[in-house]
Amino acid sequence: MTYLDWAATAPPDPEVLDEQRRTALSFPGNPSSRHEAGAAARAALEAARTRLARALRLSAKGVHFVSGGSEADAIPLLALLRKKNPGSIVVSSIEHAAVYEQARVLERLGWKLREVPPDPDGRVSPDKVAEAVAPDTALVACMAVNNETGATQPVREIAAAVRLTAKGRIPRFHVDAVQALGKIELGGDGFGADSLAFSAHKIGGPRGTGVLWLRSPVEPLQSGGGQEGGIRPGTENLPGDAAFALAAEKAVAGLQAAREGAEALEDALLEGLKAIPDATPLPLSRVPRDSRWSPWIVSFALPGLAGETAVRALSDSGFAVSTGSACSSASRERRVLDSMGVDRELSFSALRASFGPESTRAELDAFLEAVASIYRRFKA
Amino acid sequence: MDTLFLVKIGELVLKGGNRKDFERRLRDELKHRLHGHSARIQTGVGRWFVECASESEEAVAAVLASIPGIYGFARAIRTGKTFEELAIAARDAARARVALGARSFKVEARRSDKSFPLDSYGIARELGARLLADFDGLSVDVHEPDFTVRVEIRDKAYVYAGEEPGQKGLPVGSSGKGLLLLSGGIDSPVSGYLMALRGLSIEAVYFHAYPYTSREAWEKVRDLAKILARYVGRITLHTVPFTEPQLAIKKNAPENCATLFMRAGMFTIADRIASSIGANCLITGESLGQVASQTAENLRFTESFAKLPVLRPLIGTDKEDTIALARRIGSYETSILPYEDCCVIFSPAHPLLRADLARETEAYEKTGLGSLLDEAFRNTERLVIKPD
Repeated sequence: MTYLDWAATAPPDPEVLDEQRRTALSFPGNPSSRHEAGAAARAALEAARTRLARALRLSAKGVHFVSGGSEADAIPLLALLRKKNPGSIVVSSIEHAAVYEQARVLERLGWKLREVPPDPDGRVSPDKVAEAVAPDTALVACMAVNNETGATQPVREIAAAVRLTAKGRIPRFHVDAVQALGKIELGGDGFGADSLAFSAHKIGGPRGTGVLWLRSPVEPLQSGGGQEGGIRPGTENLPGDAAFALAAEKAVAGLQAAREGAEALEDALLEGLKAIPDATPLPLSRVPRDSRWSPWIVSFALPGLAGETAVRALSDSGFAVSTGSACSSASRERRVLDSMGVDRELSFSALRASFGPESTRAELDAFLEAVASIYRRFKA
Repeated sequence: MDTLFLVKIGELVLKGGNRKDFERRLRDELKHRLHGHSARIQTGVGRWFVECASESEEAVAAVLASIPGIYGFARAIRTGKTFEELAIAARDAARARVALGARSFKVEARRSDKSFPLDSYGIARELGARLLADFDGLSVDVHEPDFTVRVEIRDKAYVYAGEEPGQKGLPVGSSGKGLLLLSGGIDSPVSGYLMALRGLSIEAVYFHAYPYTSREAWEKVRDLAKILARYVGRITLHTVPFTEPQLAIKKNAPENCATLFMRAGMFTIADRIASSIGANCLITGESLGQVASQTAENLRFTESFAKLPVLRPLIGTDKEDTIALARRIGSYETSILPYEDCCVIFSPAHPLLRADLARETEAYEKTGLGSLLDEAFRNTERLVIKPD
């Protein structure tokens, strides 16, 4: 199976798995216990935190280990429910379900929800976000890299625009950076966001591990034993957290070289699609080696062939890709593409190929060949 | 043997000459379905008895409630033919009802053994008086009682309260065998169920257009067949690989005829399968006017590809009533799972509403499906699905 679905999850890195196992065996204590085994585990946990913070170029104080990207997204949103009176929240309409659906829950609980659609290229305009911000806006959310189209979002500019135009209290700015980690440069400023969500399994780390970075603490909805500064109660997943630290270090260290590889694949895929009649990249304006898109994710359409059908046929030919977000591929709705104004005929035939550091040109060439032949055979 | 079920056999007794055959089929089916529960079946005129160990009670009741040909059944007490024994049994039968909050009752008696000293009316009257004395706060209501204590004086005396309905209808197989076109939607399982109640044993055919239709769509159809099997007994599911005919239709047929021609191809293959398995009819979930392919003209066109009669029990049924029936037989939740069958995927935007038999048949011949249908028929896979 040629794996081109790295945005859904990355195959585990054996070295990272080893680190997880080693940590589990070496530090059996509960980091909250007062005995020696507990103290050793606590020290290992703090070491993992420091290593992760260094890899992310963020303060260690802000690093909170959580169960994954979805929980990292949920905590700052649900924290709003601690407020006395509901205000408003502003989210882009291309957010991952972890943000988008959580925002809809808040809406049902009395919060006003304003959605900001992207431009046709799949990028959210900072001005439009700033326009949507009202005096009662408590939180703004925009992801760093869209998981379906690969569109990089001008999050730094959004942060600045929101700060500039906000009247009264400046709303918190949350950035889901799950598809950014190890894929694009994070910069040393956390995109100017107040909170960032990261996930380990997208970069070869274990599932069930993520990080919520907070510039300043929030008052979480969930309460319990006070772990992770009270932000995420529950016995810490030390082996997973240590493994995440190693995976993040490796991803960040290898970023430059891997990115060049990804750009070559992006280039080849977009070029190859031109040779397949009617195939088209999504958005239509997509070009390679352009900072508006992450080179790791390429979305394209095969008009007249349902995305779902193409995924099955490609799977039978030995290629793993998806129709869009793996989390929402069961539903008929194509929210992200719809909000970009993509024609229904194209959005229903959309496919997403996503690369990892181990993807090769040979794999991509074989993939293009399979796409062309399947499209020829099954196209309406 | 701890539990005794009294089983009422419905229409069977009405069907003079065929009665023996019907009874044999029902007994065989019952035996087959109760296999493994070490149940004992005793047949009689209009009343059968099934005895089983109390730990099998629920399973046996589920079978009695679901197989065609049973009118109703009840957990009964068998006792001696003296009034005192009847009174004790009646009290035991009533006790469970009273414990559940019942406040009013009546007694109905049938006396096949005319040597019993009291007549039916006398039994009801005397037993009623005893029950009134036995339970404080219980009253008689002959019009709308909370429960009815029934007494039947036969070879022995039988007493029961709380009869459960059966599926009624005719025993499976007594009308021969039908081949059900099972799509994965709401209608076709209901159709299969209804025809099974008319005595057909059922095999099913599904047209699988992979990769247009998913593995999950096929699994859904298999699960629907499994649900049907609760009522019908074992079902053979024939899965026809239909991708190639589908593609040929897409390429060669006028767009507005795609669905119609697809169905013509399906009927052609279904008819051949039906003949090969000795079925005497096809069964579909079609309902007049429900979708474009189900106008009278289009039904005429598609059924012209079958030699066997096409039975459509839902032809005059409103969708809401079909849904209610689907919910009752337990197929609805599976039917609405979002895996599309090929009917949905290939439906044209503006389908032809009223086929002209001669004109459309000519156009159909030109699509050149013949050898592709032969191959699909040859490569059909079979799976036997048994009730749980």
